[in-house]
Amino acid sequence: MKGEDQARALRHSVALSSLTHVSCMRLAGVGASDAVTRLCPAELFLRDGQMLHTLFLDDNAHVVADVYLCRDNADFYLLVEGLSGDQLEQYIRGALPPGAQVTLDDMSAEHEILSINGPYAWEALSKALNPEIVSLPYMSFYNMEGYTCFRAGKTGEFGYDLMVPADDAERIRSRLLELKHVFDMETADLEALDQCALENFFFNIRREGRAKVTPIELQLQWRVSYSKDFVGASALKDHKQAGVKTRLTCLLADSSIQIGDEMCHEDRVIGTIVNAGWSGVRGDFVGMALIEVDLAYPGLKCFTAGVGDGAVPVRTVSPPVIDNRSLFVNPQLHTYKTRDDFDFPPLC
Amino acid sequence: MNPDFAAHIAQRDEILAHIRGILIDDLCMERELDEIDPDTPLFGTGLALDSLDALDLIACLYSRLGLSLQGASAHRVAMRTVNTLVDWIIEQQSEKNER
Repeated sequence: MKGEDQARALRHSVALSSLTHVSCMRLAGVGASDAVTRLCPAELFLRDGQMLHTLFLDDNAHVVADVYLCRDNADFYLLVEGLSGDQLEQYIRGALPPGAQVTLDDMSAEHEILSINGPYAWEALSKALNPEIVSLPYMSFYNMEGYTCFRAGKTGEFGYDLMVPADDAERIRSRLLELKHVFDMETADLEALDQCALENFFFNIRREGRAKVTPIELQLQWRVSYSKDFVGASALKDHKQAGVKTRLTCLLADSSIQIGDEMCHEDRVIGTIVNAGWSGVRGDFVGMALIEVDLAYPGLKCFTAGVGDGAVPVRTVSPPVIDNRSLFVNPQLHTYKTRDDFDFPPLC
Repeated sequence: MNPDFAAHIAQRDEILAHIRGILIDDLCMERELDEIDPDTPLFGTGLALDSLDALDLIACLYSRLGLSLQGASAHRVAMRTVNTLVDWIIEQQSEKNER
């Protein structure tokens, strides 16, 4: 029941998580802006307090990290999944020209990132910590008294990541958990967050991100620019010119599908499942597969996953596969307490 | 390839081309056609359209395809990604043909 309770909280109320897998680095100095321009594959139109969801690539244009780049005056925060603090520092130093005037401050050791997600996350945070959090726009952050609040999230629901000093994390966690019964709040682990990301087709560096492919196959071209220079830029352009063979496609199945399962069409292998999980909210299995680009379309019911007697039918769909409650919850109208007074659409 | 299967893909490709065309020609996105991936979010992240873009998009869907997006719930679900918009257009065209 633990997993089901976490999924329920994430999709219907509020869930609290600790993002120990996220590395946080602060870049400062006169060369910080040039440094992030070189590192980041997207165009940088970032004002103070804004965040950009981007990627880090290797020289082959394969994705190595899922990155939030955040501008704090002339400095930048990087919130990174896929690289440890040491690996991140090594990656950054490897990409910078000799003598670049940038200081790197690995904040992971002295800070903890608490994540609050769910359709009523805004309400829980505003009651526990600061009412002003409600007005924080998506993809922006604010330095509050003693911590920084980033409005982002990868669940499809309202999401806030709090970067708090490690020695104050327990106090803030306790303040949030004092509201546990008011919001039917649960503590959600990484597996539950990853399942939400899968249902909403958010990129996951620990799943499909291991496939050694470029942003083109992953349908992440919105995070890259073809008109600037960055690590992997020329390989990416060459790859685009040559044409890609596969594209990430969302799947549903009534029986179990697993990462590594082959996808077949008329007894021919057409791809591989790179992410999969049981959706307790939907009541079926959700997956992502890298499928031959000519067949990578939603609305097809003629594929199978797995081999032999274990092969199961799968159908391709347009993600997200959840009509998130957060699409319909309005902080000016709704509260968790009065949620039953409103006729919200079903989640699927 | 099975003819139904091929027809489904051809129909999606045609509608996808329409939407990409609207995004580039009418909403002035500085992208090549093949740089707009089908499952890209339209709002928030992804193409990061705003509320004025949404109105332009709705107007273009009406003027180019004769389709009218009505109702807040329908908007929010249909306009999540390029592909969910394709799904909605296919559904609307199919309903039109049945009438």
